[in-house]
Amino acid sequence: MPAEVSISPAAHPRRSCIYRVLQQAGARFAPVNDAAIAVDFGKAVETEVAQASTMGIADLSVLPRTGFKGAGAVEWLTSQGLAIGPDSNRAYPQPGGELAARLAPTEIFLIDGLAGTGELIRRLNAAWSWGSERPRKLIGYPMPRSESHAWFIVTGNQAPAMFAKICGVDLRLHRFAVGAIAQTSVAKMSAIVIRADLGGTPAFHLLADSASAEYLWTCVLDAMAEFDGAPVGWSALRELAGGG
Amino acid sequence: MTGMNRLPAPAGSLLDRSKTIAFQFEGRTYEGFAGDTVASALAANDVWILSRSFKYHRPRGILTMAGLDANTLVQIGDEPNVLADRRAISEGMIVEGQNYSGSLEHDSETWIEMFGRFLPPGFYYKAFYRPKGAWKFWEPFIRNRAGLGKVNTAAHHGYYDKEYLFADVAVIGGGPAGVAAALQAADAGAEVIVVDDGAQLGGSLTYARFDSNGRSGRALAEEAAQAVAARSNIRVLSGAVCTGNFADGWLAVIRGNRMYKLRAKASVIASGALEQPAVFRNNDLPGVMLGSAAQRLIRHYGVRPGREAVVVTANADGYAVAADLVAAGLAVNAIVDLRPDAQPSPHVTAAQQLDLRIITGSAAVEAVPTLGKRGISAALVAALNDDGTADAAAESIPCDLLCMSVGYTSLAHLLHHVGAEFAYNDSTHMYEPASLPAHLFAAGSVAGAHDLDAVVAEGRRAGSAAAHDAGFGAGAEPPAPIERGDRHHTHRWPIFPHKRGRDFVDFDEDLQVKDLVHGAADGYDDIELLKRYTTVGMGPSQGKHSAVAAVRILAKEMGRDLQDMKVTTQRPPFVPEKFGHMAGRVFEPGRRTAMHHRHIELGAKFMPAGLWWRPAYYGKPADRETAIRDEVLGVRNNVGLIDVSTLGGLDVRGPDAAEFLNRMYTFTYTKLAVGRSRYVLMTDQAGAVIDDGVACRFHDEHFYVTATTGGVDGVYRTMLFWNAQWRLNVDVANVTAAYAGVNIAGPRSREVLQKLCTDTDLSPAAFPYLGVRLATVAGVPCRLLRVGFVGELGYEIHMPAHYGEHVWDAIMEAGKPLGIRPFGVEAQRVLRLEKGHIIIGQDTDGLTHPYEADMAWAIAKGKPFFVGQRSIAIQNGKGLTRKLVGFTLTDASAPPPEECHLVVRGADIVGRVTSAVRSPVLGKVVGLAYVAPDQAEPGKSFDIKVGRGRVIQAQVIPIPFFDPENKRQEM
Repeated sequence: MPAEVSISPAAHPRRSCIYRVLQQAGARFAPVNDAAIAVDFGKAVETEVAQASTMGIADLSVLPRTGFKGAGAVEWLTSQGLAIGPDSNRAYPQPGGELAARLAPTEIFLIDGLAGTGELIRRLNAAWSWGSERPRKLIGYPMPRSESHAWFIVTGNQAPAMFAKICGVDLRLHRFAVGAIAQTSVAKMSAIVIRADLGGTPAFHLLADSASAEYLWTCVLDAMAEFDGAPVGWSALRELAGGG
Repeated sequence: MTGMNRLPAPAGSLLDRSKTIAFQFEGRTYEGFAGDTVASALAANDVWILSRSFKYHRPRGILTMAGLDANTLVQIGDEPNVLADRRAISEGMIVEGQNYSGSLEHDSETWIEMFGRFLPPGFYYKAFYRPKGAWKFWEPFIRNRAGLGKVNTAAHHGYYDKEYLFADVAVIGGGPAGVAAALQAADAGAEVIVVDDGAQLGGSLTYARFDSNGRSGRALAEEAAQAVAARSNIRVLSGAVCTGNFADGWLAVIRGNRMYKLRAKASVIASGALEQPAVFRNNDLPGVMLGSAAQRLIRHYGVRPGREAVVVTANADGYAVAADLVAAGLAVNAIVDLRPDAQPSPHVTAAQQLDLRIITGSAAVEAVPTLGKRGISAALVAALNDDGTADAAAESIPCDLLCMSVGYTSLAHLLHHVGAEFAYNDSTHMYEPASLPAHLFAAGSVAGAHDLDAVVAEGRRAGSAAAHDAGFGAGAEPPAPIERGDRHHTHRWPIFPHKRGRDFVDFDEDLQVKDLVHGAADGYDDIELLKRYTTVGMGPSQGKHSAVAAVRILAKEMGRDLQDMKVTTQRPPFVPEKFGHMAGRVFEPGRRTAMHHRHIELGAKFMPAGLWWRPAYYGKPADRETAIRDEVLGVRNNVGLIDVSTLGGLDVRGPDAAEFLNRMYTFTYTKLAVGRSRYVLMTDQAGAVIDDGVACRFHDEHFYVTATTGGVDGVYRTMLFWNAQWRLNVDVANVTAAYAGVNIAGPRSREVLQKLCTDTDLSPAAFPYLGVRLATVAGVPCRLLRVGFVGELGYEIHMPAHYGEHVWDAIMEAGKPLGIRPFGVEAQRVLRLEKGHIIIGQDTDGLTHPYEADMAWAIAKGKPFFVGQRSIAIQNGKGLTRKLVGFTLTDASAPPPEECHLVVRGADIVGRVTSAVRSPVLGKVVGLAYVAPDQAEPGKSFDIKVGRGRVIQAQVIPIPFFDPENKRQEM
C-alpha cells in the first residue's frame, strides 16, 4: 500500500476489539468492508512474509464471518450452495475461499476468505428469514459470530511449538491436518483452532471470546517471544496465500 | 586457579576447562570451570561444608552428589533452597549457606546440639504450652529458627512457563536401561521422548567403573548418545527431571524454569537406584559420602574427593570405588566389607592386585571428627558378630574421606505415584515392584537388575513392550537376561547404633537410631505413625536415604518381617518444585467491553464483575461519595448513560421457545406479545432464586432473554441441561459477548435517543414501557428495550459488539448539549435501591425462595410446571421464617447500616440487612432487610445491630421508596 496513507480504525463504526493494541505496535490500516484492517506494521512486505513464515500473528477481526446452528442448519446451507462434508471438527473450503467449520453435527461457523469481500456471508445472512410457511420449515438459526468472537491467525513453522506452551492439544503438523478443528482451551480460554495453511506456510485460525481479545493477543505474543514472533499485516498473509 | 583438588583431564567429563568462572560463597570468591556445579567447584577448592543441619546445626557436606539429598541446600541471591550439587555456577553468582547464626563455618547455634536430649522427636507435642501463655513466649523463638532459606517478598518475578509434550513412549532415565528401551521403541516406529537429569546421556555409565565388556563406561555412554542422536524419532530432554507421574500417562518434567506436561501413551521408568548410607556414629559429617558420590566428583567434575580414604562396602561396587580412588591419587587405607567374605568379582580381584587392605566381616562404627566437626580424621572399624552387632573393640584407621557402598534402594517414586505395588525381596534385601498399572513399564536397577548386560536386556524388553502397548511393533519380544545380577548389592542391616548416639538415620531431620526406637516405644508402631511422629522421611529429601532404614529399624523393634511391611507412600514431586513452576505464566483472563477505553478516558474507577471489568464510578477514590451522588442525581434529573454490555444475553429460538421459557422461569410467556418484554425469575430445583432478567419477544419463535452478569453462564448451562432431557424444539445461544449494551436513563433520555434513532417511533404511545423494538441507532441495527431497573424513563440499547464504541460516542455527542453524564455500577445500585428492586445474590441468598423475597407476583398461577415449582409450594406451605422488606431508620441522622448487619430481637437473630444507602433524592436512609414475618408490615419496627455492639432502630416502609406509582419509568 502507499507508504504514508494509513486510515484510522476509529474512522469506521465497526472496529476490531484490539485496534489500539495494533496501533501501538505500529500498524498501518486500510479499509476493507466498512472497517479498517492492519495491512502491515511499517515493514516491507518481504520482511513480514519472512516473519509470517516462521512466527507471526495477525488480527482478522474485522473480516466477515457468520454462523448457523440448530436442526436444519446444514441442510439449509447446503441448499444455499455450500459444500459441507459429514465430519464434525472439520473445516470445509468453499469455492470463494471461505471456510465452513463444522463444529458439531448441526453447527457451522463460516469465515470469509482472506480477501474479505464477504459476498457469501452477506448473501447467507440476507437469505435467512423466519419465513411465512406454517408449520415453519426448520433451517437452523443465525449466530452473531462476527461479534461474539475475535479472529486471529497464527502463522509459521514455529506455530505448533508456540501453541504447545498455551494449548494442550497436539497441534504438530503431522498430527493436526489441514482442515482439522480443535475446540479447546488456549491460554485458559475457550477457543476454536482451525488449521488452514497459507500456501506452504502452516497457519492456524484462532477464534475466541471477543471480550477477551486483548488478553488473548497478549498471551500469544508472550508465548511467541521465544521464537522471535511478531504481528504481521494482511498484505503479508495474502502474499503467502498466493497473491490477490 | 580453579582448585587445589582438581584432577587433570580426562577426568571432569562435564567441564569446559577453557572457561573459568568466578563466584562467591559465604563472602569469599572462588573459581571453577564452566560445567561445574556449586558443590563441585567448592570441593575443588577444598570447601566441604555446604550447610548446617536442621536441628543440631551440625556441619553437612556432599552426600549423593546427585541432587538427591538436602545437605547441599544453599541460598543463591534471592533464591532459597537451591541444590548446590545440581546448580551450575555462573559468573558473579552469590551463594550463601542456610540455617546458621554468624557464619556457616562458625555457626553460633551449635550449642543446640548439647541440649539434644531435650529435643527428642515430638518434643513440641509435649512442651511449650504450660503455663498458660507459654506458647506466646516460645512461638517467636521457634519461628525464628524454623525453616530453611530466606524469601524476599519484594523479589523480582522470575519468568516461568510451561509446555505440553506428546510421545508414544516416554522413557524416564537416560542410563543404559533407558537408552536401550528408547532405541527399541524408536525402531518399532514409536515417537520417543527420553527424560534424563544428567547433562549427558548414560546415567551410571558416565561415572561408575564397569568391567563387564572390557570397555569403559564412558565409551558405552558415547555409543549410546550417538545411537540415540541417529534416530530422528527420539527426542532427549537433558538436565530435566520427571517430578511426577499422574493418571492417564501424564508426566510432569521440570527443566530450568519450564514445566513440561508430557502425555505419553506408554512409559518406561528406568530411573535407577540410589545408594544408601550406612548408619553409624557421625555418619553425617563432611567427608562421609556415598561411593557413587566420590565417583561423580572424579569422573564428572575432575575433583579429587579427599586425600586418604576408607571404603565401607557390602558389594562389588565398593571395590570399584576403591580402584577409582586409587587412580585419582588417594591413598585407600582400608576396604571394610560388612560381609564375612567378599563375593568373587573382577573388582575384588583388582583391589587385591592393588594390594589394598581388605577387612571382611567388619564395619565402620564411628567417624572421628576433626576440630569443630568440619570433617573427619579417622574411621573406627570393629568386627561384626553373627547377630549383626559390632564388637566394642575398634581399630582407628586414618582417613579424611569415608565412602559408603553398602546397598541401594530403587528410585521407584514414579511407580509409586500411580499405585504400583511393592514387595520386599528377602534374597536381595530390597523392595521391588510387584505389579505395575497398565501402560507402565520398568527396567534396570529400578526394577532390581544390576548387572549391566541384564540392565540393557531388560531395557530392550521394556522398550519393546511399551512400543507394542502404544500400538507399534509386531516383532518378537527381546530375550530376557539369563542373570539379573540382583543379589549381593544391598546389605540387610548396615545399621550400627552407638550408645552415645549421633548415628543418623535421616540427615534432613537430624534423626538418630534411638529417636526411631523411642518413637516405636511411645506407641507409634506402624511406619505411617512413626513417620509422622518422628518426621522421618518428611524433610526435603523425602526419605530417599532414610525410608528403608526406618522400616528396617521398626521391623527389628517390633519383631516383624519386612515382607509384611511397606515403605510409606511416595507422592509427587520427586524432587523439590517451585510455585513458579506450577504457576507458569501468570495471566489472568479479563473481559472488557467495547467501551472500555472510553471509560478509562472518562476517569472511571473500575471494579471486577466476575471476569469482566466495569466502571464503579467516574472520578478519584477520594471523591467517591460525591461522584456517585452526582451520577445518581444526573440520572434522576437529566440523562445518564451506563455501559451494561456485561449483562447476559441469550437467544432462545424455535417452535417451543415459549414453552421452554415457561418451564425455565416462574412467569408465563405463551401469550407475551411480539414487541413486548416481561420479567423473568429463575429458581432452582430447591426453589431458591438464582437469576433474573427480562424476556423480549422479537418473533413468535424468538425471545431475547437477559440475565445477570455473573449468572448468565450458569443460566445457559442449566438451560442446556434441562433441554437435553426435555428435547423441546428450541435452540439456545449465549450471545452475551456479541452484544454491547448501554442503558440511557433519565427524564431527557428520549430526547437524546430521538436524535440518533430515526427509523422508529419513540413516542410513549408507539413504544410503551416494557416494549422492545429492532431499530437503527447511529446507523447501527440494535435491539431496543424500554426498561425500568433504575426507575426512570430509559432504554437499553443492545448493539453488535464491534460497534459499541461508535454508538457510545454517538450518544455522548448527541447528549452533550443536554449535559449527559456517564454513570457507573455504584450509582445504578443506589438508583435501583430507591425503587426497591432486588439484586440477585445480594438481596437473595442461596436459600431465598420467591415468597420470602416478596416476589410471589412473578409466579404464574396455573402453569403445570416450572423448575422449582414444587419446592416453592412446599416451602410456602411450611410458612415463612423471614421476609424481605423495605425500611428506613427511626433516627434520620444515623448512618446507613452495612450489608449483613444483623436484625436482632433480644438475643435472637431474626434476619439481616441486604442493601442500604442514604438516598440523595429522598434525603434519608433506605434499604432492604430480612425480618421476622410478624415484623414485615409497614409501620412495624425492628432492631439492627451495627458495629461495636450498637443497636439502632429501623421501620418497615413500603416499596418503591421513590416514585411509588412508577410514573417516571412509564413516561
